[in-house]
Amino acid sequence: MLLRKMWRDLLKNKVQFFSIFIMSFLGIFVFSGLDSEVSGMDHYEGVYYENTNLYDICAQGMAFKNRHLSKVKYLKDVKEAELRFKTAGKAELSKEYDLQMLFIDDNKISRMILAEGIPYTPGASGVWVDINFMKKQGLSVGDMLNMKLNGISFGQEIKGAVYHPEFVYYVKDVSAFMPDYGEYGFVVMDTGSYPLDDFYYNQMVIRSSVADNTGGLDKDEKNRLSRLMNEVKYVLDSDEVILTDKDADLSYQTFRAEIEQHASMVYIFPPIFLAIALLGIITTMTRMTAKQRVQIGTLKALGFSKRTITVHYASYAFFLSLFGGVLGAVLGYFTIAKYILGMMNTSYILPKVNTVFSFKSYAAVLISVIISSLVSIMACRKELSPAPADTLRPASPKNLKHSLIERSFLWKHIGFTIQWNLRDILRNKIRTIMGIIGVLGCSMLIFAACACLDTVEFITTWMYGELNTSRYSIIMNEGVSYGDTAEYAKKYKGQMVSTLGCEFEAGGIKKSGNITIPDRGNYLHYQDRQLKHIDLHEDGVAMSYRMSVLLGIKEGDMFSWHIIGDDKWHTDRVSDIYRNPSVQGITMSRKRYESYEYSFCPQTIYTNMDPVKELKDDDNIAGVQGLSEMMKAMDAMKEMMYAMVYIMITAAAILGIVVLYNLGVLSLVEKNREMATLKVLGFKSARIRSILQIQNVWVTLLGISCGIPFGIVVINILFGTMPESMDYVAKYSEKSFIICILGTFVLSYLVNRVLSGKVKTIDMVDALKGQE
Amino acid sequence: MKPFIEFRNVEKKYMIGDNAFYALKDVNLSIYEGEMVVILGPSGAGKSTLLNLLGGMDSPTGGNIFINDHDISKFKDDELTVYRAWNVGVVFQFYNLVPTLTAYENVALMKDVRKNVKRGSVWEKDNAGLELLDPKETLASVGLADHMDQFPSQMSGGEQQRTSIARALAKNPRLLLCDEPTGALDTDTGKEVLKLLQRVSSKQKHTVVMVTHNSSFADIADRVIRVKNGTVNSIITNDEPKSADEVSW
Ligand SMILES: Nc1ncnc2c1ncn2[C@@H]1O[C@H](COP(=O)(O)OP(=O)(O)O)[C@@H](O)[C@H]1O
Ligand SMILES: [Mg+2]
Repeated sequence: MLLRKMWRDLLKNKVQFFSIFIMSFLGIFVFSGLDSEVSGMDHYEGVYYENTNLYDICAQGMAFKNRHLSKVKYLKDVKEAELRFKTAGKAELSKEYDLQMLFIDDNKISRMILAEGIPYTPGASGVWVDINFMKKQGLSVGDMLNMKLNGISFGQEIKGAVYHPEFVYYVKDVSAFMPDYGEYGFVVMDTGSYPLDDFYYNQMVIRSSVADNTGGLDKDEKNRLSRLMNEVKYVLDSDEVILTDKDADLSYQTFRAEIEQHASMVYIFPPIFLAIALLGIITTMTRMTAKQRVQIGTLKALGFSKRTITVHYASYAFFLSLFGGVLGAVLGYFTIAKYILGMMNTSYILPKVNTVFSFKSYAAVLISVIISSLVSIMACRKELSPAPADTLRPASPKNLKHSLIERSFLWKHIGFTIQWNLRDILRNKIRTIMGIIGVLGCSMLIFAACACLDTVEFITTWMYGELNTSRYSIIMNEGVSYGDTAEYAKKYKGQMVSTLGCEFEAGGIKKSGNITIPDRGNYLHYQDRQLKHIDLHEDGVAMSYRMSVLLGIKEGDMFSWHIIGDDKWHTDRVSDIYRNPSVQGITMSRKRYESYEYSFCPQTIYTNMDPVKELKDDDNIAGVQGLSEMMKAMDAMKEMMYAMVYIMITAAAILGIVVLYNLGVLSLVEKNREMATLKVLGFKSARIRSILQIQNVWVTLLGISCGIPFGIVVINILFGTMPESMDYVAKYSEKSFIICILGTFVLSYLVNRVLSGKVKTIDMVDALKGQE
Repeated sequence: MKPFIEFRNVEKKYMIGDNAFYALKDVNLSIYEGEMVVILGPSGAGKSTLLNLLGGMDSPTGGNIFINDHDISKFKDDELTVYRAWNVGVVFQFYNLVPTLTAYENVALMKDVRKNVKRGSVWEKDNAGLELLDPKETLASVGLADHMDQFPSQMSGGEQQRTSIARALAKNPRLLLCDEPTGALDTDTGKEVLKLLQRVSSKQKHTVVMVTHNSSFADIADRVIRVKNGTVNSIITNDEPKSADEVSW
């Protein structure tokens, strides 16, 4: 019977209870949605790397011999090691496409996974091709693939379409901003298929027994790998060898960072929803138990124990949060998680990823249910403790002390409307705080959503309008001499730039990145931390902001660097700090670069003249990219942002509406008598409505002014957890401020418009008839 | 014969600020099983306080209260709950039905009480053989067979009070306590309710204690206890109690 009582009480107060339900639902919906996606990515990443036996350490920079291999294999912590040759070549189709080529002896470490075709066996002929490349270029197993390496053409039969653990995320070249799979790719062949006679092993990949392939590298693993790298370096006995662990791998690092970024989002929003659910429980249960005081006394008098009655009142919140939570967990899993994972699937190439419903989602439901029930028990404790004889008596009226403000000198001069509202706020502090938090959450979400768009919009103009003002980039083929390149530059009035892989070290921290060497010209520009234009010191070594943060150094500090492929370390002072969204490392002038006795060998020419037609079939040119093509790469990212923005705005609207409507109903019910009195006294409905609106404006204003700072924090968290190669500047325009403020106000106004319409329906006689 | 209920020097004191206020003082009385007792006194005399102590809804600040030889005066909260659950049926002046439950459900609520009560208490032994009554039959016995599915707000005052009596009776309690049961009813409906109570005490051997400020009710009781200013003024035994039909007010 008590369950029936609960059910009917729920129906009677459906708006308040529904909002508790919705908030419990939303909290778990968002949590479980995000968590199932993160857990899925995390799980399948581990499974994939474990199955494919991704390498732990990669050695390069020297010519490896089999004796090196056996020495390394002999080390205690080395499980397996393989030699291979990795290089860049071309596929010759309708036009030339960039290919990463791997020539292997065996397929034990960083194993490729066959999607279609026949598996690789050592010594087999043929080529195994990137599955995305095959799809996009319309290739199928059995076709002949014509390739080009160092100017020599050769062909191999396609034996299979494959996935490769080192190509989960891969871009065309270091300066490319987003992947555009299928426009370039990778191929794997046996070393026996190498077409030239200059073969040597340029990489050794090592699988250790001191690190596993799940959940990224933790500190211990990192330390153990670093120790192992020293041992390897020792047995290889070479000054030239460069050893990196898999964290330095762009594919591995980017995917990990993405997972961790998503993971950090999991805990941002759900607590807000839960907090609002709890505040809803507190106000609703306090009010309801106060109203049911006599009923509680009766139940006690009839012989119900305090425990039974407590359980009864806790069951309201218990069932609401349980059903809300379970529904949220299920829907979150099937909507948010699937949706985001679907988007991830286009950026990260794995044979299988799926959502995983982790124990965390169960725990979240459980925690939400427990906290909600406990809070609800606390809220009704007051009415449950006294002896039934006392509870049966009507409650002594609330102590209506005059507050400090009311006694102050100013009070008399502020007018009735403000007096009435101030008094109302002071007597209903929890309700007011709850309203502010609701508006806060709402405006925070709207603001963060707008700022996301601002940021993406800004990054586009920043990259392609401010930092690089050229309209075309000409990419030279490998091996083209400096003299020839300079000819092109002259012809197109272009600026030559060379970008090379580089390693940095400062204070014991090692990071990999790039060195950029621009020749004279005015297409590349630099901005300092505050995004003000700067001219780099002609003779200095400038460092990108993100890299300086990663290394923990600032302008004027010393650090060391060396170019990948050259073992000589240089120590320099940071002359400037500049920001770049996609390439981290150092920049120096050609003159400075040549002072280290390196020869300048540019791979890219930036220009404003359209070279597309003339250079289409030029053998020296790998490709020409126009501005529009580069912008297109941003579209995928924008699409993802839009999806996120929709989710955020919807959440904001639901949050705002639910909280404000709920509070409004609460306050109307409470103020029913007062307002009836006002009516009797001759106040018009419209006047009463405007009195109510004032309070609403105050709450909304306060909520927004707290919400915007929170929104800024959220945006910074969001863009602060980008991969190490990226440096995003969170941007928010005036437009976002205006949209946020206006949007929140309109929402709040509309909700209260609907609510205050109810003022008209207040029946004076009924409301004043007295309590039951 | 041994009394079923015995008050010895019972005192109930309220502290109002620093001053002690005695709602009851030096109360001594005995009530026998199956009696119909009326507690009479002006408003504020302490009648409700006395009834609440008897029903275990409150504890005295002094003295002893024996119910069937068990002293409940020092009982803790949960012991009192068990006592109420087994032994006591209460009828209030304002009915106090649960507004969101129908007449039937209000009565059937007593099943929940018994289901949740602690087992193995002395009260359970004392009440062995006194099974819960069927809610439907109980409602029919108070003449509400046709009103089972109505909510309290859909019933008249008399019907609500009869539902409340049915609720109290459904427990089959040895002690039925009524605080001004006719206080909110008109004369005719009030009479119906009184007749019902009288029938309960004579037919079902329940002990009925009724509080009222209306001295006309004195005639229908086996015994009348007059209370004034927190003390018992007089206890009168009626050899020939009248039927409720015969009283008028
Ligand atoms: N909780 C309380 N605090 C202070 N005084 C109380 C309390 N409960 C009852 N009283 C006082 O005790 C006296 C007796 O009350 P009560 O038993 O309700 O009288 P009645 O005979 O009208 O039922 C009254 O004067 C009342 O004001
Ligand atoms: Mg009374």
